[in-house]
Amino acid sequence: MKKSNLILVSIMAVFFFGMSFFCWFKGVDEYSDSERRVLAKFPKLTEGTVLSGTFMKEFETYTLDQFPFRDEFRSIKAIAQLGLFRQKANNDLYMADGYVAKVEYPLNDYMLENAGKKFQYLYDTYMANTDVKLYFSVVPDKHYFLASDNGYLSMDYEKFFARMQEETDYMQYIDIADVLSIEDYYRTDTHWRQECLLGADGVANKIAEAMGNTLTWEYEQMTASQPFYGVYVGQSALPLEPDTLTYLTNDMLKACTIISYDTGKPVEKEIYELEELDGRDPYEMFLAGSDALLVIDNPNATTDKELVVFRDSFASSLLPLLIESYQKVTVIDIRYISSGMLGDFIKFDNQDVLFIYSTLVLNSSTSFK
Amino acid sequence: MLFSSIPFLYYYLACVFILYFLVPGKIKNIVLLLSSLFFYAWGEVSYVALMVITILLGYLFGLLVERCSTAKAKKRILGIAVITFVGILGYYKYADFFVGNFNAATGLNVPLLKVALPIGISFYTFQVMSYVVDVYRGTAKVQYNPFTLATYVSMFPQLIAGPIVRYADVAEQLEHRVHSVDKAALGIRRFAMGLSKKILIANALGELCEIFKASGDKSVAFYWLYAIAFTLHIYYDFSGYSDMAIGLGKIFGLDFMENFNYPYISKSITEFWRRWHMSLGTWFRDYVYIPLGGNRVGKLRWLFNIFAVWFLTGFWHGASWNFIVWGLYFAVILMLEKLVLLPLLEKSGPFKHLYVMFLVILSFVIFNAADMTEAFAYIGGMFGAGGVPMISAEAVYYFKSSLVVLLIAGVGATPLCKNIVAKIRNKKSGALVLEILEPVVLICLILLCTAFLVDGSFNPFLYFRF
Repeated sequence: MKKSNLILVSIMAVFFFGMSFFCWFKGVDEYSDSERRVLAKFPKLTEGTVLSGTFMKEFETYTLDQFPFRDEFRSIKAIAQLGLFRQKANNDLYMADGYVAKVEYPLNDYMLENAGKKFQYLYDTYMANTDVKLYFSVVPDKHYFLASDNGYLSMDYEKFFARMQEETDYMQYIDIADVLSIEDYYRTDTHWRQECLLGADGVANKIAEAMGNTLTWEYEQMTASQPFYGVYVGQSALPLEPDTLTYLTNDMLKACTIISYDTGKPVEKEIYELEELDGRDPYEMFLAGSDALLVIDNPNATTDKELVVFRDSFASSLLPLLIESYQKVTVIDIRYISSGMLGDFIKFDNQDVLFIYSTLVLNSSTSFK
Repeated sequence: MLFSSIPFLYYYLACVFILYFLVPGKIKNIVLLLSSLFFYAWGEVSYVALMVITILLGYLFGLLVERCSTAKAKKRILGIAVITFVGILGYYKYADFFVGNFNAATGLNVPLLKVALPIGISFYTFQVMSYVVDVYRGTAKVQYNPFTLATYVSMFPQLIAGPIVRYADVAEQLEHRVHSVDKAALGIRRFAMGLSKKILIANALGELCEIFKASGDKSVAFYWLYAIAFTLHIYYDFSGYSDMAIGLGKIFGLDFMENFNYPYISKSITEFWRRWHMSLGTWFRDYVYIPLGGNRVGKLRWLFNIFAVWFLTGFWHGASWNFIVWGLYFAVILMLEKLVLLPLLEKSGPFKHLYVMFLVILSFVIFNAADMTEAFAYIGGMFGAGGVPMISAEAVYYFKSSLVVLLIAGVGATPLCKNIVAKIRNKKSGALVLEILEPVVLICLILLCTAFLVDGSFNPFLYFRF
């Protein structure tokens, strides 16, 4: 027996059985903060689940979800994938110019067509014979700014925007891509920074002007004391420095009332739900997160107009900056409420109607209901 | 259950090791048998019975062959055994292929049987069959203990993707095997390397192949990138599995035959097949080619023998025409080499390596195609047929993204690293450094593999479908 072999076998045995025992006896974790999801539990062991193979599949998921130091192992993998093996992306996420972004590729024609059909349905069903003024805007994702300079595959965004304009030719298109830059986005999150949307050349002003409004309110800039770890921190598993979350507020915004009909019953909320800063997704502080249907009443509006917004989460931080021009703003997310049910909640008459969606959502629009 | 999975590595394997090394010698085979049945049932509960029946049939045929008093009767039993095993394999693996082709040829519409392919059936059927043949030939003694025979057939390290272990090779070890630290160390090294080959290299290349197949931006360069990536992928996938099987075997005191010997450094296709899937190649040589007369017959008969063996080799890999074409493709090349090319290749310098790799890469495009239409389309694409552009954005992007993996895979497919390590080991100071570094490197590799497993889900083994 070679001494070196004895050492090797001993070390490997300690390592292997140590890891195994750790897996067996480690307590069960309920939730992954980094991935923002509930983790799998030990599956039901019955004759049926064994014979169908369900138990085995679910057991594997359970072992992966409950693996000791799971986040650390995911980080090791991400670092090895990007650093050691020099792959361009890990799970389609990459780091460039200090920003984490997702490779949004390719352009899914079917998805754009699907989104167009859904918007057309909403128009035909609720707005065709009314005096509403329709506006449409597309929010480019971070990949739009980073891809070509950093050698990543990129869909043809100009074709994307043109295609969506074709699909929505009954609306006035507001191009905001030209007033945005990568600096307007969080480094670790998908979303844009609210404080970057304001200003003469900002997105808020561009949209407001296109809709015939002038923005005059001034805001106080508040910075959350909590670090903001965006959604890409967990997904990328890379060791990233947190962002700082800043929001803009004033007394007029504070005077607004906001009612959520997310559960069917009205629930009063805040423009900025500050307790969300300590939650799993601090960005959800803007307009109460991803509620399906919100109605905001603004007693200090500069006009008596109404606004209806079909939106995704990018609008959550934008809308507080547009509220000043409207007495009432209705915010609808058709990913969480069926388009067919909207007639029960809203009557379209002569409102301004803004459709604003990110390229990320439009390019995978199957979530539209 | 996949070797490259968390349940196998950190749940199943630890339990089996504890039980196996705690029980006394005589019960070790029972532990191995029961754990192998559990291993198989984890993936195919419904087909455990089929495997057990196949084993029992092999056991009975073995006894019958041994107890027949005349050569004629022995031969008759052997014939029945071969027909039975080929029949089982034929039903579960090829029935719908024959029905589909019958329908296509006659215009009839005989309904397909839609029988699910039991995992590893091609491997364990061949093992049982070789056992009966070996008993018939007298190269192996009949096994009177059905549990020992069942342990041989169902041994989980090699059950579902080989190497195809001959009964004669392990008969003695099944009864009396030596467990040693030296052997365990060899096994651990081999297993860790196999696991790394599979998870770190094969899976990355496999993902690249999947991306290519789904791509709408194909080009000549992308076709070639795919073909090269798949050629490396299948080697790392299959040889990685074989390394893990051989490594586990060593830990359990069993010596399985080698299955790969750096096939991509071959100087001819003849040599390639001596280095690629060696357990299958030698199986067909010993149980088909030589019984047909091998090369000790007339030239036409010899060529027929080659044709028959390679037709069967291709068909063994799958019930699809592209596998048959793949086998016959090699039959034609091997015939040409044996008749004309081998002497020319010997004098051709580095060209012979290009020749081998070119033909092997093309062969694996046929092998991995869904059908012959796809195979022709892909090979056409590699040569610009159908107006495919020379290069595309996706080809450039994925080439750049996979360059390091491709380089590691390319270098690792040669004995270069092995030779360097051997040279270092030959020096006293080098050996000392290696002794210190080896456990660290192996643990790092296993941790890295674990990290990839915990994060990823793309993990299928190619040879499970055969």
